[in-house]
Amino acid sequence: MVYIHQAYCISPQKTFQDVDLELLHEPVDKKLYAIEPSYEGIPPGVLRRMGRAVRMGAGAGMPILKNSPVDGIIIGTGKGGMEDCIKFLNQIVQYEEGLLAPGNFVQSTSNAVAAQLGMMSRNKSYNSTHVHRGHAFENAVTDAIMQLRALPGKQFLLGGVDEISDFDYNIETLDGSYKKEVIAASDFYTSDTPGSLAGEGAAMFLVNDQQPGALAGISAVGMLHSEDPAAVTAAFQQFISTHIRGNQKIDLFLSGESGDNRTLKFYAACESILPADIPVARFKHMSGVYATASSFALWMACHILQHGRLPVHTLKTVVEVSSLKTILLYNNYKGLQHSFMLIQK
Amino acid sequence: MWSSTAPNKKISLSRIFVTGMGVISAVGNSVAENRQGLVNAICGIRNELNLFPTKYSGLLPFGQITASTDGLMKALGVSDPGVTRTSLLALHAFNEMLADAGLSLADLRSPETALAGASTVGGMCLTDELYADANKNSNGSPYTSSYDCASVNIFLQKHFGMNGIINTINTACSSSANSIMYGAMLMKNGFARRAVVGGVDSLAKYTINGFHALHILSSEKCTPFDEHRKGLNLGEGAAFLLLEKEEDIAGKKVYAELTGYCNANDAFHPSSISDEGDGPYLSMQGALNHAKLSAADISFINAHGTGTENNDETESRAMIRLFKEPPAFSSTKAYTGHTLGAAGAVEAVYSILSLMHQEVYPTLRFTNRIPSTGLMPVPEYRKMPVQHVMSNSFGFGGNCSSLIFSQA
Repeated sequence: MVYIHQAYCISPQKTFQDVDLELLHEPVDKKLYAIEPSYEGIPPGVLRRMGRAVRMGAGAGMPILKNSPVDGIIIGTGKGGMEDCIKFLNQIVQYEEGLLAPGNFVQSTSNAVAAQLGMMSRNKSYNSTHVHRGHAFENAVTDAIMQLRALPGKQFLLGGVDEISDFDYNIETLDGSYKKEVIAASDFYTSDTPGSLAGEGAAMFLVNDQQPGALAGISAVGMLHSEDPAAVTAAFQQFISTHIRGNQKIDLFLSGESGDNRTLKFYAACESILPADIPVARFKHMSGVYATASSFALWMACHILQHGRLPVHTLKTVVEVSSLKTILLYNNYKGLQHSFMLIQK
Repeated sequence: MWSSTAPNKKISLSRIFVTGMGVISAVGNSVAENRQGLVNAICGIRNELNLFPTKYSGLLPFGQITASTDGLMKALGVSDPGVTRTSLLALHAFNEMLADAGLSLADLRSPETALAGASTVGGMCLTDELYADANKNSNGSPYTSSYDCASVNIFLQKHFGMNGIINTINTACSSSANSIMYGAMLMKNGFARRAVVGGVDSLAKYTINGFHALHILSSEKCTPFDEHRKGLNLGEGAAFLLLEKEEDIAGKKVYAELTGYCNANDAFHPSSISDEGDGPYLSMQGALNHAKLSAADISFINAHGTGTENNDETESRAMIRLFKEPPAFSSTKAYTGHTLGAAGAVEAVYSILSLMHQEVYPTLRFTNRIPSTGLMPVPEYRKMPVQHVMSNSFGFGGNCSSLIFSQA
């Protein structure tokens, strides 16, 4: 088991300070923008130069690094700093490859979040950035599992970050990722149209191999590339039978359902093989869709396990939820990259 | 088919070997062509760039691969409309690795076969298409899902129907050293039986202008470790290696053993290394510790050696700190240019060639030592006993990684 001892999340919901998940923050222009904190503790001069992803990553990661020395920083990000990337690209075109300021270029590399965290905490140990799109965070979790097994007793900062930028929103819109129509938040799961809403956020975790005092533990991660719902269901079934012990009960199925009618079949297929009395909760109406949204889901799972309850708006059908000890997460990104995670108290 | 990773498995102590290689760079289109170039001091860097319109074409030297993008598509039999030059270069090197290792399609598609790739440019080689798509100046090019770094390995996964763990790492210029390390870790942890590891980057208007803005592109062919070095030349390349476990190599040709690796951070500046080279020192020291070797055991260092003022001096200092009197070392970036996310994998192949043929390749165009460090890289091709090679890759964000390959 990899144990999570601290968890911080900057997201479109009130997840960072004065956490309140009951009050649902609504999308603006089909985008769920993160509620950014005041970023106390980051010097204003440094903060000004940071792109959005780096800022959120530093904002969610520094509270951990400030008090807990770590033996490495492991980040998953689908795209890193796309806004800086296109800002620099636009300069190249507008100034016809003239003399350009390198700031945006340096901030645009995907490893800028992990690098910034390393620099601010003067951490010279392991530092890695996984960018495999919808498996970026899952590979970061896998990396953390492997680091902890190689170095028992050590601890790591593990995180997932992605940002909304106008540029990336344009590209993803052309790629068909977002809904054409404006929908009310209450219609998020019922619109029956293609696409979803854009989301963003940063979730950061302090992980080690020590159980005492942990918020939760990750006991397994599964990954699969497939466009076939039957293959996904088979893998899901196998994941459950491999990792759920005989008398262990799944208390909650956390589904990455995104309101996109093209990927609903995968979620429905996985749900269909679970016993009917397992409550189903969803989170994408809170986080929106982005490559590392599973890091938001992990933060939420920790929160649920810690407090023993969850907001009613997350439940797919209104049921009494009791004894929350084991949460099974299934997520997919763009109907190709699927992941499972088993999270336990 | 699926793959899962759980924290309760035992770490395997089995050794990890390289049993297949493929590479394409400005020096040549195969492992054999690359070695020919390295032995005969044939530099791939030229004052010519015709992949896309840029004002730096003809002005600055680049390590461009001669094959055109259309030519690569034809030769590889690929017609997917959204495929990028980066993915094509990757496929070219992947194919060579596959044939060289004699890995069956069934084994390649096994859930026990992982793919750990790396890229920093991904589909951003299509700068003009990206500009149009990002700024809503188009109805959508065929490349809207091909710009990110993951697009390369997703293309390879689909092309070959792979079912194991697939990952893409981007730690800037040390990316593919880390993907090699990640693949090895997946194997040691029992999450993969074998791993295809490597990296790719193609030349892009984006990176050319980025490095130019940082004033680290040389107007002449680069001269790593020379007192009068003027910066780096950008290049492009791809390389993949097949890693297999000790228990699976019987009867196969084995090129080298991956004995050590370490990733450390310089934690100093976003785009330069600290004066004393803390990150490089730590990654080299960590790789030695991991391999249970001492500094004196290293026969040769394939240095990062980009040719920039900052890198070559700090890398030299770190080598002196660790080795006192550093062993023979050289930078093959004088042949290929800096291939960014591919460099760690391309130079892993070169390091293994040194082990296989008991030879080292010179740092071309070297004339004067850096006065403050006084080190001289290998000036000309020579045969020498090579038992353990260290290969360095350092990147922006202070991301430093070192690998050690040993005679099998």
